[in-house]
Amino acid sequence: MNRSWMKRWPMAVVVLAALALSVSGCAGGARPRGWTGLTVVDESVYASDLEQLQVLDTADGRSLWTFPKDPREEQRGTFHITPAVDEEHVIVASYIPSAGLLSQPRHVVWALDRETGNTLWTFEGASGQYVEGGALSGGLFIIGNGDGNVYALDVERGNLKWTFETGHRVWATPLIVSETVYIGSMDRHLYALDLSSGEVQWSFQTKGAFASEPVLRNGTLYIGAFDNSLYAVDAQTGTEQWRFAGENWFWGSPAVYDDAVYAADVKGNIYALDADTGETLWHQSLDTAVRAGIVTAEDGSKLFVGGEDGTLYALDPSDGFTLWMAEAEGQVLSPPVVSGSVIYEALLYGSQRIRALHVDNGREIWAYPPTPEE
Amino acid sequence: MFDPIAYFFANILLLLYDFLGQQTVAAIAVLTLLINLLVLPLTLKQQQSSRKMQEFQPEIEKLQKKYGNDKERLSQEQMKLYKEAGINPMGGCLLLIIQMPIWFGLIGAIRYCIPSGPLELFRFSQHIYKWLPSVVGLVPLQSTFLGMDLGQPPSSAQWWSYSLPILVFATSWLQQKLLTPPTTGDSESQAAMMNRQMQIMMPLMFMFFTLQYATGLSIYFTISSLIRMAQYYFVQRGRDSDKSEGKGKKKS
Repeated sequence: MNRSWMKRWPMAVVVLAALALSVSGCAGGARPRGWTGLTVVDESVYASDLEQLQVLDTADGRSLWTFPKDPREEQRGTFHITPAVDEEHVIVASYIPSAGLLSQPRHVVWALDRETGNTLWTFEGASGQYVEGGALSGGLFIIGNGDGNVYALDVERGNLKWTFETGHRVWATPLIVSETVYIGSMDRHLYALDLSSGEVQWSFQTKGAFASEPVLRNGTLYIGAFDNSLYAVDAQTGTEQWRFAGENWFWGSPAVYDDAVYAADVKGNIYALDADTGETLWHQSLDTAVRAGIVTAEDGSKLFVGGEDGTLYALDPSDGFTLWMAEAEGQVLSPPVVSGSVIYEALLYGSQRIRALHVDNGREIWAYPPTPEE
Repeated sequence: MFDPIAYFFANILLLLYDFLGQQTVAAIAVLTLLINLLVLPLTLKQQQSSRKMQEFQPEIEKLQKKYGNDKERLSQEQMKLYKEAGINPMGGCLLLIIQMPIWFGLIGAIRYCIPSGPLELFRFSQHIYKWLPSVVGLVPLQSTFLGMDLGQPPSSAQWWSYSLPILVFATSWLQQKLLTPPTTGDSESQAAMMNRQMQIMMPLMFMFFTLQYATGLSIYFTISSLIRMAQYYFVQRGRDSDKSEGKGKKKS
């Protein structure tokens, strides 16, 4: 055996191990840290598109403006969360990785002018990752963070108005109704907070983490948890009305239409339950993992679910059977958005990252980035 | 590549977490102990081989002086010496190669159970062993320890979290020093220089790694080093006790 190799193998193994350990995580700068989300307001689609916030015309997917204008020149980090939009503002968050060994990554909330995309203010007070978007109401922007806090920021100036500390990561979008903020935390509590002060009105505890936005119907909140359960909770008092035991985690938000609640677990099981009693109306299984929740057509004629396999499913609400499927490259991990007769979806890892499809049959209207033929 | 191992360790970690009163650090410590026990036979063999290598270092240097110009003959004589002495020059390499998937598996397990990002958590949701009913709802594990977030790298907001990579360096260095017997013969020999380099390079590599990744990993590396030092101490004490009993018997 070669003498020099026998003497040098320990160093070779150390170098290889160091390279392997570095590479095992160090490609993170280019990798998404979460799914991308979009919202539709008036005639525009507002979408987090990793390097940029994209604002597209709903009619044809034409870019109206982006932030930053050129990510190669102005690096503002990676954008994941669903933007929050009101008459004057678009509020989104980005992750800026650390610049060196001892520097810190930055988690930045950006408030942009809705017409021009100019920066109005920024907030960098949180130390964890923003996973889901925030909500706007009463002059405040409320958002949860991976550091366990819920932050309330003044919409005009970005001042921190209050902070509410939970026991674990807050990866859910809040629901704001009147003067109350409903938000779930991974500390296994659903909180009702006063909008103006952040004081706790009530909290509801379970055995599983909450990571989704609750849905409200007739004074009852519906929300799923990581203990495989879907809960119906009184919005005034926080008391449990019923609990449904599914087969896996409920991560995405349920949908409510008429007297039925529709929910999906992460294994792709779709449940329709009586909204008042929690009794099962029907149960179907998709052949894919499902991260996001269910959305309904505006007339309630269809349910829409996105899968990890990149397929958007349209289901019949009466029995859960598939009406149509629209396949695409990538993964649908955030909830699609319905506006009129069009449904918009965001795709992770796909060459086309935002698509607009007909609600009736899933036919593609446009896609972004556009295909070369277009 | 190491995901199946990571999923397995993650489920074991969940079981331990549930059994140990939902204490994350305790669960990581026990899992580390179990893994170290698993590779103990290999570890002992590697330590034995390393010790023998050092004991025969003067003989190896004699061969190098004698056959310095004849590499082929030198190589043959060295292999003959290793064979007679029962030394496997690649023994330590084998241990490192076997331990590497275990490291990556455990790193993955900690990242899945104390996720810093949602994609990892979603991926893991598909691989939780449902036939372990007590683990439903456990994820994510409690991530706070001494005011630090075990799922995040050290940060200036929790400045004391930087002590963990330093602790990783210190325990890893001590472990290297303890488990590497002193070289005999010329202190400037290549073997001595290689040992000194390894004693610094490995701890530095671990410290560099733990500066970038979740502090929960620092807990694993520190506990692992402490366990290996304890293993070495008890095994060595047993060996020394046997030796002194043998000498006692000879005298009588």
